Parts: sequence; C-alpha cells; structure tokens
Amino acid sequence: MNALRALLRKELASLFGSPTAYLTLMLVALVTALIFFDHLRLYNQILFVYASSNMGGFDTDTIPDYVNLWDTVFFPVMETLGLTLIGAVPLLTMRAFAEERARGTDELLVTTSLSPGQIVVAKFAVAFLFVTAMMAVSFVYPASAIERGGLGAEHLAAVFLGLTLHGIGVASIGLACSAFTSSQLVAAVSGWAVAFVLWDFSWLQPFVGESAARTLELLSLHPRYGSFSEGIVALDNVAYFGALALVSMALARFSFDLRRVGS
Amino acid sequence: MADASAGTRTARGIEVVAERLTRRFGPHVAVDSLDLVIPANTTFGLLGPNGAGKTTFIRMVTGFLLPSSGRVRVGGLSPVEQRRAVCERTGFVMETSRLYPELRVEGFLRFAGGARGLAGKRLAEAVERAMARFGLEAVARRVIGNLSKGYQQRVSLAQAFLHDPPLLIVDEPTGGLDPVQQDEVQTLLAGLAGTRTVLLCTHDLGEARRLSTRAAVLRSGRLVAEGRTGDLLGGADPLALFRPSEARA
Repeated sequence: MNALRALLRKELASLFGSPTAYLTLMLVALVTALIFFDHLRLYNQILFVYASSNMGGFDTDTIPDYVNLWDTVFFPVMETLGLTLIGAVPLLTMRAFAEERARGTDELLVTTSLSPGQIVVAKFAVAFLFVTAMMAVSFVYPASAIERGGLGAEHLAAVFLGLTLHGIGVASIGLACSAFTSSQLVAAVSGWAVAFVLWDFSWLQPFVGESAARTLELLSLHPRYGSFSEGIVALDNVAYFGALALVSMALARFSFDLRRVGS
Repeated sequence: MADASAGTRTARGIEVVAERLTRRFGPHVAVDSLDLVIPANTTFGLLGPNGAGKTTFIRMVTGFLLPSSGRVRVGGLSPVEQRRAVCERTGFVMETSRLYPELRVEGFLRFAGGARGLAGKRLAEAVERAMARFGLEAVARRVIGNLSKGYQQRVSLAQAFLHDPPLLIVDEPTGGLDPVQQDEVQTLLAGLAGTRTVLLCTHDLGEARRLSTRAAVLRSGRLVAEGRTGDLLGGADPLALFRPSEARA
C-alpha cells in the first residue's frame, strides 16, 4: 500500500505541479460558459421573436410549449458538453502511459515494488479525480439552468453523475489507448476515434438487423448519458460506465504483459 | 562531493546466474544462449558494442522482459516468477533522461523510496542518507529537469540506493556526461566496490577498467569473452573483442 500511495502522490504532484491542469480546468470552464450562454442567447432571441410578433408585448401564453429553458437550453447544452468531453478528455489522458514509455520511466516504475496492476490503478484514479474536478467546474452553468427550470436537487445530482460517469468513460478509453503506445499523438487520436465510434451507433440501424441494432445500442455511450440528462439514474447505465472503466483497466494492465513478452 | 564509501561496508551482495538465457524479438536474437555467473560482491562489467544485447540482458535480470528460453536467477530468485522479490533486492540506475524532469529532487526521492515500500521515518532517513551520500542536499528543492546531467545522474544513483539493495544495476552511467561529470560519477561508483554486487553495463573500456574487477563481453547477443577485467582488456588490442569476426580476420 505504501508503494501505491507514493505513486498516487507522485501522479498528483506531476499533474497539479504543472500549469497544464489549471489551464485545462480554466479552458473547460470557459468553453462550457460559451456553450451555455450561446444557447441562452438563442433562447432569448426566440422569446423575443414570439413576444414581438404578438403586438401585445411579452405574453407567455403566446409562446409554444416547446420553447422552454429545458428543451432550448439545457438539453442542447448537455448534448454539446457530451461531445466536448469526447474531444477534450483524450487530450488529458494521452500522457498518462505514453509519456512514461517515451521517457523510459515505465522501466523505473516496474522495477520498484509497484505491480503493473497498482500502476494502472494509480493512473486511472488520478485521471478520474481530475475528470470529476473538471465536471464540477463545467457543471456550474447546467446547474444554474436546472435551478432556474425548477427541476430540483435530485435532477441536479443525476445530471452531475451522468456527466461525471461520461467523462470517466471517455477517460478510461483514452487511458487504455495511451497504454499501448509511446506516442501521445497516437494515444489522443485513437482515444478520440474509439470514443466517437462508441458515442452513437444509431446511424447503423438501417444497415444491420434488429437484434444487432439493439446490441449496438447497448454499447453506445449516448443513450446511457442521455438518460442521466433526463434525471433518471438507472443501475444498468451506472454499471455500463463501471464496466467500461474495468475493461479499460484490464486492457491497460494487459499492455504491461504484452510489453514483457514483446515480439 | 560526498564520500560514496560512507555508510555500511559490510559485503552483502548477491549472485546473478544466467543459464542458456535467450531472448528473441521476432526473427532477431538479442541474447543468444547466454551462460554467465556474476559473483556476489563483485563489480562486474558487461561490455559490448551498441546492439550487443547488454540492455536486453539487464531487462531480463530486472524482470522487465521475459526470456524466450533459458533462465536467470538473482540471489536464487526468478525475476519471472518472483519479480517483486527481485525488485526489492535490486537498484537500477538508468540513463539520466529516464527521470521525472518536472519533480523536485527531494520529492522524486521520496516517491522512489515510497515505491520501494518505505514510509514514515524510514523513508525520511533513507532520503536524507541518499542525498548526503550523493551530495544532493544543495539541490534538494530544485526541479530535476533544471539540473546538470552530472547531478541528474547522481539523482539516478540516489534513487537506486534508497532501499540499500544487494544488487545494483548500472546502465551506461556516464553516457552524455562531460569528463569532469564522468569522473564524479565513476568516483561514486568506485566507492561501492566490495559492498554489494554491481552490474555495470557500458561500452566505455576506460570506465570498465577503472570500476570493474571482472567483465564479460557480449557481441550479437553471444558471450565472446569473460574473465578478470585486467586480463580481458589488458592486451594490445582489446577492441578486437568488440569487432565482428570477419572484421578481425
């Protein structure tokens, strides 16, 4: 346990000892704010159009039901955030294993008392912690939308959990990709590719059979994440993200064995 | 510079034995049926040109790579089946570039000691001892990436010493260092003679002469010579051992 604790401390020191972490958190907050306020601006414009087209001024009875804070701001923001995370998180995870390989420090790590399993656990744990911090920063604006929409704390918690699990799922994919290469660029690009492919399989439905389409949907990130946005915390969706993390960890652990055997 | 010979002088080295040790990478044979005994408490030079198989051999000793066939024993333990036990008995000094340049010297040593299972007072004492032994107190709070290569190599030596291992593996310790830095590092290594087993991997014959008592020469993964360093490298043309057979003919 001492060895694992030492590695966790080192990983945190490496991450938060450089300005990259703070810069990333700041950028994520900024991008989230831009996405949120852009949708809010659009919502206000729509409201203005309806209000001004009914000569009687601002009368909410004249505004159709589908123009509301929920459908016009909140859902699109969550959708865009989901995709933004797929773009941003592999940039954070690409270093984790690939940089160790490129610098040769992976050899230093595995010749200590640390087991490959402990190295994987430490790397994943620190990445998950950072993703959670990132989500907390990103969540300020969706939270305000939920609060304004009067949806309550339970819905707020479900959305935060969904965002965090989605971020952790994408981070797991990115970390697994990083474990198989010494190139950070390859790690990032493969992380994006896998996450984008997993994001949504619905476009394949016309080309495959019904059962295959159902199976593919079970594997998709989007419907799982979307369900949290609606305020539903389904156990199978939580289990899906948990399984994604575990499979990714097993793959990263396998990369050490593969390296040992070599070719 | 700190006196490298400070600390315990009790001989506590362990033996390394390779038996028909072979490692292939696809069709390329990096280490070919190597039989070698590295006696306890000797400073043993593993010599050979680039690509001779020295680093591959070291990696099999540390358990980082698995042998394709044959076996290696470190103090009677198998790096394949008892990797952690072997690592606890081994200190590994790598080239200077293989450090964490973003960490501070003391922070890195605390991490390296922790990763070897040390904690609390034992860890603090080990870090203090290693910094004193390798003259790192003055740079304890400095970032490793900002240190000279000579100091980085001292950091590398210090991390390998934290748990006081009976086997020290040193891979190209003076590569890329200027002559003064080379002399400093070699003096530190010379101070370890007789206290433990030191496996020194180098292609610098002068370094091997200065530091090792016994040596082996690898070429294309095969053992071409083994014996007392003075006898091996004392001839008129010691470089002949490094040249391919046809070039020598």
